[in-house]
Amino acid sequence: MARHKQIKTEEQGEPEMEISSMIDCCFLLLIYFLVATSLVSEKKLDISIPAQTPESSNQKPPVDPGRITVKTDGSVAWNDDLVVAEAFNPDAKPGTAEYRAQRRLDQLVEQLTQLRNMAESVQTEPIVMLSGAPNTPHQRIVDVMAALAEARIHSIGINTADPE
Amino acid sequence: MAKKNARANDEVDGKVNLSPMIDCCFLLLIFFVVNATQITVSKDPSVKMPSAVSCTDLKDAKGCIVVNVFADPEKMNDKAREKYYKAYSKYPGTVFGVTDVNGASIGYAINQTQDLADFIKKQRELMESRNIDRKMIRIYLRGDQDTPWERSTAAIRSAAAASVTNIVFGTLPAK
Repeated sequence: MARHKQIKTEEQGEPEMEISSMIDCCFLLLIYFLVATSLVSEKKLDISIPAQTPESSNQKPPVDPGRITVKTDGSVAWNDDLVVAEAFNPDAKPGTAEYRAQRRLDQLVEQLTQLRNMAESVQTEPIVMLSGAPNTPHQRIVDVMAALAEARIHSIGINTADPE
Repeated sequence: MAKKNARANDEVDGKVNLSPMIDCCFLLLIFFVVNATQITVSKDPSVKMPSAVSCTDLKDAKGCIVVNVFADPEKMNDKAREKYYKAYSKYPGTVFGVTDVNGASIGYAINQTQDLADFIKKQRELMESRNIDRKMIRIYLRGDQDTPWERSTAAIRSAAAASVTNIVFGTLPAK
């Protein structure tokens, strides 16, 4: 009698659930979302365009605004006279050292940092005007934007007139 | 003898406690689900994104009005061109691609910048009615790397006409 009773309680005490399938499913979802989040690799460059351009205000800015001119061939000029980047070689393959080198605008970053330091010394925001030729590839302008971001300038005026 | 029996019993009952692992697993799952939904902005596969060296992470897609600026279809690769024609079959000559609240693609040609400005204005008003901070409302400009700059400036001018002056340039990290 006693023996029979004991077996019965043992059966009642262990109502087992199959967890392994749930773990399978859970892991699958986990891996899916892990991969999905790492795929979202799009980044950004913040630029704000001031509502009032320096030309339209009556007050003369304390620091002369910097002018960046980008031409169709990809050459970049600073304040109209100093060429900070030569024409873009369209044959350079992405991933090569030559391609990377012509995409970097170190001289421009230097000039922009100088401008920012000058503006900061008189407690104003640096003003930069960007004019690009209508047919400049968007990529070249993004290179200039990257240089601006590197020099920590986030506000630029866009001049829509053709510089050529 | 009885002692030996008990020992054998112990060996049979040696089970791993799975509940903390499941707890941990669920926590990670929820973390990644939330992360994945937060960053998502609608991406048009026909745009070949430019790359930049000093770009930052897009932490929050809230308040982003996505404007795709396409290059000429001849410059796209075959797969991108096929998708472009499929998505904008109703809008010939599409240069600016946007997605409305229902997820449908709308295309605007180069001479329809006024319509684009109206669309951006409507989106801005919709976001403002949802109490999204004015500073957070920005244009997420996904310009193709080959698109001429005049198209991007046209999109920026439309945004300015709709009183949105914060522009976010979509890029990929440079390799």
